[in-house]
Amino acid sequence: MLAVLRDLVRHNPEFRIGLVLVLLVLTLAALSFASPYPELDVYVVPPDVPPSSAYWFGTTSRGQDVFWQVCTAIRHTLAFGLTVALVSRLISLGVGLLAGYKGGFVDRLLMSINDTFIVIPLFPVLVLFYFVLRDNMSWLALALIMSLLGWSYDARLIRSVAMSVKTREFTQTSVFSGMTTREILLREHLPYVLPIVFSTTLANMNWSIGLEVTLSVLGFTDINTPSIGGMIYWANQHTALVAGIWWWIAFPVIVVVMAFIGLFLLSVSLNEFIDPRSRLARMGQATS
Amino acid sequence: MSVDTEPAATPALSVERLKAYYRTSHFGVSREVRAVDDVSFAIGKDEIYGLAGESSSGKTTLIKAIAGLVRPPLRIEDGSIRFAFLPGRRGLHLASPSEVQRVRWRHLSYIMQGSMSVLNPLRRVRDMFVDFAFDHMGLGRGAFARVVEAHLARVRLEPSVLKAYPHELSGGMRQRVTIALATICKPDFIIADEPTTALDVIVQKDVLDMLREIQREISSSMLFVTHDMGVHAHLTDRLGIMYAGRLVEDGRTVDIFARPRHPYTRHLVASLPRIGEDRIRQGLEGNPPNLADPPSGCRFHPRCALAMDICRREVPPMTQQNGHRVACFATGATGEQPQ
Amino acid sequence: MHAYLAYLAKRIGQFLLVVAIGINLAYAITHLTPIDPVEQSVAAVTSYGNAAPDAINQMRQSLRELYGLAGSPLQQYATFWGRVLHADFGPSLSAFPTPVSTLIWRALPWTIGLLVTSTLIAWACGNYLGGLASYYRKSRTLKAVGIVAMMLHPIPYYIVALILLILFGYVVPILPVGGGAAMNLERGFTFDYIGSVAAHSVLPVASLVLVGIGSWFLGMRSLASNIVTEDYVAYAELAGVERSRILQSYVMRNALMPQVTGLAMSLGAIFNGAVITEKVFGYPGIGTLLIDAVYAGDYSLVLGVATISIVAVSAGVLIIDLLYPLLDPRVEAV
Repeated sequence: MLAVLRDLVRHNPEFRIGLVLVLLVLTLAALSFASPYPELDVYVVPPDVPPSSAYWFGTTSRGQDVFWQVCTAIRHTLAFGLTVALVSRLISLGVGLLAGYKGGFVDRLLMSINDTFIVIPLFPVLVLFYFVLRDNMSWLALALIMSLLGWSYDARLIRSVAMSVKTREFTQTSVFSGMTTREILLREHLPYVLPIVFSTTLANMNWSIGLEVTLSVLGFTDINTPSIGGMIYWANQHTALVAGIWWWIAFPVIVVVMAFIGLFLLSVSLNEFIDPRSRLARMGQATS
Repeated sequence: MSVDTEPAATPALSVERLKAYYRTSHFGVSREVRAVDDVSFAIGKDEIYGLAGESSSGKTTLIKAIAGLVRPPLRIEDGSIRFAFLPGRRGLHLASPSEVQRVRWRHLSYIMQGSMSVLNPLRRVRDMFVDFAFDHMGLGRGAFARVVEAHLARVRLEPSVLKAYPHELSGGMRQRVTIALATICKPDFIIADEPTTALDVIVQKDVLDMLREIQREISSSMLFVTHDMGVHAHLTDRLGIMYAGRLVEDGRTVDIFARPRHPYTRHLVASLPRIGEDRIRQGLEGNPPNLADPPSGCRFHPRCALAMDICRREVPPMTQQNGHRVACFATGATGEQPQ
Repeated sequence: MHAYLAYLAKRIGQFLLVVAIGINLAYAITHLTPIDPVEQSVAAVTSYGNAAPDAINQMRQSLRELYGLAGSPLQQYATFWGRVLHADFGPSLSAFPTPVSTLIWRALPWTIGLLVTSTLIAWACGNYLGGLASYYRKSRTLKAVGIVAMMLHPIPYYIVALILLILFGYVVPILPVGGGAAMNLERGFTFDYIGSVAAHSVLPVASLVLVGIGSWFLGMRSLASNIVTEDYVAYAELAGVERSRILQSYVMRNALMPQVTGLAMSLGAIFNGAVITEKVFGYPGIGTLLIDAVYAGDYSLVLGVATISIVAVSAGVLIIDLLYPLLDPRVEAV
């Protein structure tokens, strides 16, 4: 495992850059635990101070230190993204493995439902949820709802891997040896599917964080807990751009963009590493 | 070393001391696969030359090199590939793009194996003829269309085939389309790479006969590659045997089958069933060598019953007698006489 | 022909299924909540001053009927579907008494125009550049384009829209940043109006295209890179077919099919992006309509826009699905 990581770092520039970006962002997130101000407090420092040695990222119009806010915000945002990704993995795995393995009616039923969720535009639905839940829309509720809506794309990927694995001989052997469907799926097929699951987790995190930022910016989430989108929301509320308080928007945007690009590069390089055809293509190019 | 072949006029193709290796470097690991290692032979005009050998013998790499399809990680390290229609060039890979463009298909064409995968599934047959041949023929559209139809008739295909997509044709029909495509410009040289391997025996015979007919008609030379010795016996004028990246024997097909000299060739020939014979066939022990780390000296020595000490140390040179060449210390001109 | 009709029937069936599930989902969400729009409206009115209890009850009754909330849950469901099939969603609260459908039909053309333009540009350019990049591997410009695409692709639509807004709205204010056209112009097919529409759409379209083009570029590049290694491409090269012809008819044409499918699958995501981009630039499409409706607590408008969005996106997917067999001769539906 470590050997693989070491190889990737040494030979794959995308992985290197992605790793650096993600580690930077994670460092900021971890630093948030050392924040001298409680995260929900406002007016703890002089407002509207530009970036300086005292306040590295400046301060907001609500009297918060942008640096520590960003750290806390990115921590919440990342945690949110990870939660959605993990929960929706469970659903995609369940649906994908079952549909791929069982085939026939079960497959068609599950795929009809799956395709429905792929097609339905999620944003209006999420907005609708917010509209009716209003202040009851906690982070957990939002995470749950997004997990229930965001599994469909990856379920199809997992299903195609499951289908190709089903035709291999060891599946027949397992069936003959009397393993139940559940045992076969968990013990035999899961290892084949895990690499795809891993790279799609990163992609899914990007998706859920992107959606969360978008919703928060509009004020459609619990904007009191600091999050990247929430910061931009408050900045807009205080017309930061017009007032010239550019640092309130710039720094959260920069940090979240780093997170997006970092996660994306990691997911792309892992995908390439796993896919044997692209490895062959790379081998061909890397000669003197 | 110049090669003494018959006919003695300028050969259509002359390969000398060709070395083509694959070099890969991935995640810090480098490998060099010596797929073609010092191969020399020549093919005369109007001659069908067969190339036999099992998979990983290097035949595919050899034809890639000859056809000029040389891309990383494949590299031609040394040697020359001279075509009669391209004098002064040591290989297609060294020619200028405009020369290559002029020469391809008009002088050198290719029949590949796997007729399903070599035809673009989204393109109709007539469009493929236009793509491949129109620029070379210098005819107007109408005249070109008539020539194509006449040519299709020669391979016994209806003109309606022109409108079809590849998946709408049977395997035999597709292979005949590829033959028609490869021969319509009446090229000087045709490379055929396992063109009948995926076909059933009856269609195979049909296709082989058709190939020979056309070759005789347009007087082109042909390099016919297949592992199937039966096909070689049926079709080729001369035959070369490849093993582990080296040419081990070459000569007239009748001579090779009547008096095979290299131990490997003897096994190949003996493996063919003959009517009336019911002896048990002996398989060849061992496996073909790993070309990234081949055996020293003669690459066949680990599996050879006649192996001597010198075989392990030195590479046997090609020696020739009456146009029949062999690279073997035991059975070559320096060893025992052919029986 | 018969096979195509069977395919058509299946796809329309899927379309109806999606629409049915989507609308039921929207209905379920709005009705299984503790919030009562009627009470909300009543509360809003009475907060301005007192009114006689009778009048308030009258209002309650009429509002209940207008909102389709009269009667038992089953009756409400039936009323809802009856109205939906007539594209009647009741009156809008924030723009009372304008019916929701009027507001939607007014805003929909803007959104469709924005979506179609930006999607076509992003898809066509992205695929074309991606195809070039996969074939001409050594080109430095194309490699640079690839890196830019990789950086833009993961960034959510909102952020790109925001950055464009800041750049061209404030830093270098050369483009208009609000509305669909200049406010003082009359609608119509005049040069002035069309020019104004075009100018106002530059930034929203650019924002959508920048994000979208990256994903098509990357997808096409990797698809085409695999196709370039296929036998029929090698064969065409051996035959000396010109590079441009190979690129066009052997590589890109063959890679296009999965990209068409990909387009159908991403319509939902592109729509989401368009919605948020509209809001950023104040573009008068259904995105802005939706978000403003949420701020105003306009229940029927939100429900109406959500429903129409689902139907529109599903219809888009259906159209693409129906076109697919006509483009790919291998599909046995034609």
